[in-house]
Amino acid sequence: MTAPAILPGRGLPDRLTGLFWRRPNLLLVLLITPPLLWLGVIYLGSLAALLLQSFYAIDEFSGVVKEEFTLKTYAELFRAQNLDIILRTILMAAAVTIACAVLAFPIAYYAARYAKGRWKAAFYLGVMLPLWSSYLVKVYAWKLILAKEGILTWATDATGTGFLISGLLSIPGLGGSSLSTSYIGTFLVFVYVWLPYMILPMQASLERVPTSMLEASADLGATRRQTLRTVILPLALPGVIAGSIFTFSLTMGDYIIPQIVGTSARFIGLAVYQQQGTAGNIPLAAAFAVVPIVIMVIYLMLAKRAGAFDAL
Amino acid sequence: MTVAVEFQNVSRHFGQVRAVDGVDLTIAEGSFFAMLGPSGSGKTTCLRLISGFEKPTGGAIRIFGEDVSNTPPHLRNVNTVFQDYALFPHMNVRDNVAYGLMVKGAARAARYAKADEMLALVKLDGYGDRKPGQLSGGQRQRVALARALVNEPRVLLLDEPLGALDLKLREAMQDELKSLQQRLGITFVFVTHDQNEALSMADSLAVFNEGRIAQIGTPQDIYDRPATRFVADFVGSSNVLPPEMTRALGGPAEWASLRPEATRLAATGPVTGTVTALRYLGSATRVVLDANGTELAALVPAGQPLPSEGQTTAIAFDPSALHLMAAS
Repeated sequence: MTAPAILPGRGLPDRLTGLFWRRPNLLLVLLITPPLLWLGVIYLGSLAALLLQSFYAIDEFSGVVKEEFTLKTYAELFRAQNLDIILRTILMAAAVTIACAVLAFPIAYYAARYAKGRWKAAFYLGVMLPLWSSYLVKVYAWKLILAKEGILTWATDATGTGFLISGLLSIPGLGGSSLSTSYIGTFLVFVYVWLPYMILPMQASLERVPTSMLEASADLGATRRQTLRTVILPLALPGVIAGSIFTFSLTMGDYIIPQIVGTSARFIGLAVYQQQGTAGNIPLAAAFAVVPIVIMVIYLMLAKRAGAFDAL
Repeated sequence: MTVAVEFQNVSRHFGQVRAVDGVDLTIAEGSFFAMLGPSGSGKTTCLRLISGFEKPTGGAIRIFGEDVSNTPPHLRNVNTVFQDYALFPHMNVRDNVAYGLMVKGAARAARYAKADEMLALVKLDGYGDRKPGQLSGGQRQRVALARALVNEPRVLLLDEPLGALDLKLREAMQDELKSLQQRLGITFVFVTHDQNEALSMADSLAVFNEGRIAQIGTPQDIYDRPATRFVADFVGSSNVLPPEMTRALGGPAEWASLRPEATRLAATGPVTGTVTALRYLGSATRVVLDANGTELAALVPAGQPLPSEGQTTAIAFDPSALHLMAAS
């Protein structure tokens, strides 16, 4: 007996597979609808609500939110004390991002070009391990490390390099009585906490640059430095941009680190936290929250214009 | 004769692996030289030793008489067409081609003029503004060629340059590379595992086996007079005869090669075999015989009677075509 040209179905799985084969769009719709609902309604919806709130204002006498369109709340952002918060946050986020990029590059480059097998596993473990422990524990640990009575002061005193720390702390505007109560301390903790978010995308983009491309550059007469500038950096740029989106926006939104380590000066995250909490000024909190979004959009537009995504 | 590239007892070992093992080689200036061999035979490593991406563990390499042992790749007047082309994806075609001039500090106008000239040379005029991603495989290879030629190197290295192209394009590119080399007069060294390509393009070639050169010579030398069994097996569709069969055919008890073109079918003879396959080639039919476990092939010109599969037949040959060779 010869086998039939069409095999008999084996129940529901076969019928479902057949249905999806006949209507490929149906499967797509079924797969995409739940995440789309999640993103569309819950995420974009709350973002829209946030945006809406920022165009309301609070009644100065009663403290009640008046649901009328106004730009008064945005105007309030430009008051000296609020502008201070925004500028301080942007400067901190920019400094943290640049420091992360500078520190991450050699590590990512080593991992992408040289680490093989076991060393690669060690690299991933080393980068990810800090992410597994609680963020609060790490921040408090840093507070102790950086404190006046902390291990860092002890170690520099013991090696006779205490002048380094006192030198740093005497910088006007950045210094303070100890590292854990200065902007430098805040900066160090931010850099430590967000560094993995810069290393991983950078490493991924460097990994996609084939060795032959670096060899081609040397073959055509380029020095190492020229290869770095004209081939490696442009090709790594999408990764650097992706990483900087993380470090920049995470720093701008964080409200815990500046509370624990640093001066008591406020950052955007803390301002949002206080405005919507203690002050009960939801519109101003919303307007503050819009600032990082606007900055990120401008940043991405500039990056795109500079050709950062050309190699994608 | 000026020597473009000279290897003197050059070795490159990777731990226990002897990728290149005591190679002596001279490549004449202005020649089209092929390095032929199966993968892992050391031919690509030899190419990378010339370009400087590998350092020899022993021996000396000279380029136009100068010892390059301590010369990094970017200071060697040698350029490479990479197997995967290695075009820079973030630059357009013109900037890719002009790259070699850019890193040497040439002014923009001068390097673009030269790049356009090179693009015209490889018949890609007008493609300067495209990105490599917008080109076909054949076009990308031409860009890689133009980019490697822009510095006017004294030796051009090509690593499996035609491997990724389809048959028709490959044949067209073979002719083009050959005529380009003749026009420019530059020494071309190319690596390939395709024996037809090596035989048809090269002025002389080296056959690699396990890190050593099995034979070096002109295509005719290699094809007609293979030095070892390996060369005969790898290069040609030659019949390789074991010593006892050579003796049965009237020669000494040594390994020998016999080209299928010189082999005919006969009614009687000292060596007989069973026909196992007939392959129609158009102008001739290749008849494959099994002679006591040795595979033999004979070419029967079109129009002559053919045996059928399973039939037993004897072979006859032109005695001058029997070529003796070393066992290994």
